[in-house]
Amino acid sequence: MIRVESLTKVFRRPRTFPGPLGALRTLVTRRYDERVAVDDVSFEIPEGEVVGYLGPNGAGKSTTVKMLTGILTPTSGLVEVGGRVPWRDRSANARSVGVVFGQRSQLWWDLPLIESLRLVGALYDVPAAHFTGSLRRMCDLLGLDDFLDTPVRQLSLGQRMRGDLAAAMLYDPPILYLDEPTVGLDVLAKQAVREFIVDTNRAGRTTVVLTTHDLADVEALCRRIILIDKGRVLYDGGIDALVTAYAPPRRLVVHLADDETRTFDIAGGASVPELIGRVAAENTIRDLSIEEPDLESVIKQIYAESTR
Amino acid sequence: MAEIARALRLYWVLQRATMRGALQYRLNTVISVVTGAVYQGSGFAFVWVVMHTFPSMGGWSLREIAFLYGLRLTAHALCMLPLSSLIGLEWLVREGELDRVLLRPLNPLVQVMTKRMGMGQVGDLLTGVVLLIVAAPPWNLAMIGFCVPAVVGGALVEASFHLSLSSLSLRMLDTRALRGFLDDVFSKFGSYPMSVFGGVTQWVLTFVLPVAFVAYMPASVLLDKTGSLNVPALVAYGSPLLGVALFALAYRVWERQLRHYQSSGT
Repeated sequence: MIRVESLTKVFRRPRTFPGPLGALRTLVTRRYDERVAVDDVSFEIPEGEVVGYLGPNGAGKSTTVKMLTGILTPTSGLVEVGGRVPWRDRSANARSVGVVFGQRSQLWWDLPLIESLRLVGALYDVPAAHFTGSLRRMCDLLGLDDFLDTPVRQLSLGQRMRGDLAAAMLYDPPILYLDEPTVGLDVLAKQAVREFIVDTNRAGRTTVVLTTHDLADVEALCRRIILIDKGRVLYDGGIDALVTAYAPPRRLVVHLADDETRTFDIAGGASVPELIGRVAAENTIRDLSIEEPDLESVIKQIYAESTR
Repeated sequence: MAEIARALRLYWVLQRATMRGALQYRLNTVISVVTGAVYQGSGFAFVWVVMHTFPSMGGWSLREIAFLYGLRLTAHALCMLPLSSLIGLEWLVREGELDRVLLRPLNPLVQVMTKRMGMGQVGDLLTGVVLLIVAAPPWNLAMIGFCVPAVVGGALVEASFHLSLSSLSLRMLDTRALRGFLDDVFSKFGSYPMSVFGGVTQWVLTFVLPVAFVAYMPASVLLDKTGSLNVPALVAYGSPLLGVALFALAYRVWERQLRHYQSSGT
C-alpha cells in the first residue's frame, strides 16, 4: 500500500548572519544552511496494517508524513502510496487518504460541526445518499450527536478531535494518517479515539500510520513500529520483538526497614528466589517488587544510545 | 472543462461558508462594509472639492473623472473581493494552514481564495458601481459590451500583481509592504486621467506598471477621448486582453512557487 525507498529530505535556507547588518547579508548571500530532516528512510506498509511511527521531537516524523501525503516534495528517493507518487498527483492522492493533525483542526472554526462535515463531503464529491450513511456511522462510532450543531470554536478538545476524525474518514479513504491524535486529551477521550481507530481498521481494512509520543496509544493499536531519530530508521518491526531484543534486565526493587530502597538487576537465567534469599540474609526487607521492562524503558534506552 | 465547473461550484460553496462564518460577527461586518464605502467615497469627495476650483483636469470634466474613478474602483473591488484572502497568505503559511489546502482535492488557489471574506471590498464595490452608474454617459449596447470585459480586464491586471507577489510568501518572503505600496500606486494614479501627469510618469504607468490599462484606457474608449492617449486607439480598445495575459503569467508564477513550498516545523 505504501512504499518508501531511500527517502531523503534536505531543507535549504539562506544562511543567517549575526550583527546589525546581518539581515542585509542574509538577503544577498548565496550560502545556504542545509538540514537533513529525513535521511535515507525505507519501509513498506501492506494494506490493513496499523503502524506506529515513533521518534523524539525533531526526528523527522512530521516531515516523513508530509512527504507521504504529498505536502512536501522529497529531495531524493521514492514514495508510492497506492501506486501513486503523492506530490506529483496531489489531488488524486488526497481522495485516498484521511489526515488528522492533533495540533491543528481541519474544521471550520466559526461554523457548527455538521457544516464542516457537509463541506468535507462536498470537497470529496461524496454522493448525498452515501454521505447520510457515512455521517450516521460516524455519529454512532464517535458520539457526535450531542454537539453536531455547536460551532467548532465552542467544542472541547476531545469533541473537536472526534469531529476531526469524522471529517478524515467521512469519504472512506483506504489510508489514514494520524499525527499525534491524542495530544492533550483526557483519559476517556483518548480511549474514544483509540477505539475508533481499532474499529475503522477492522471494519474497512484501513491502513493506519500513527505518529505519537503516547506509548499507550502504540501498545493499544500497533503491532509494528518504526522508530526513527535524526532522520534515520533505528528499528522497524514488531513491538514484542523490540522489547525482547532491547530488553533491559528485569529488576528487583527492595524496600528496607530503615526506609532505604535498593534495586538489583536480575541477570538473564538467574534465580529470583535465590537473589531474594541473598538480599534477605543481609538486610531486613519490608517490601519488594519486580519491575518488568516495558516499551517506554526500551525506547528511552534506544534514544539514549542513538544520541551517544 | 468539467474540472473548472467543479472548481467554480466548490469555490461558491466554500466562499458562502466563509461568509456565514463572518456574518456571525454582525457588527464587525457592518462596520467593515460601511468603512470601505466611506473610505472610498471620501477619496472621491476630495476630487470633487478640487474640481470646484478647477473646472477641468487634464482635459477631463468632473463627470468624466467620476466615471473613471468608478470604473477603477469597480475593477479594484472585483479583484480584491475574491483575492482578499491573499493578504493573509503569510499567516496561512506560517501556521501550517496551507498543509491542509494541499491535502484536499481542489485547486489550492481556489481554496486559499475562500479563506476570508473581504467585507471592506463589498463597500468598495458599492461606491464603485454607484459612481459608474451615476456618472456614465447614456449607455448603449456596444458600450455595455465593452465596459464589462474592461472592468474584468482591469481587475485581472491588478490581480496579477497581487497574485505573483503574494505567491513569494510561499517561500517565506514577506511582500506585504511591497503589495501595500503597489495598491497605493494603483489607486492614487489609476483613478485620474494620465494626461495630468508628466510624460515620463505617464510612460512608466503605461509600459512599466500598466496602471493606465486598468481604467484610464477603457474609460477613454467609453467617453470617446482616445485622441489624447499616448498610445494608438487600437491599444485602448484591446486593453482588456492585457489583464488576461498578465493573469495567466501570474498564475504560472504562483504554481511555480507552490512547488517550492517547505511547510512549517510540526
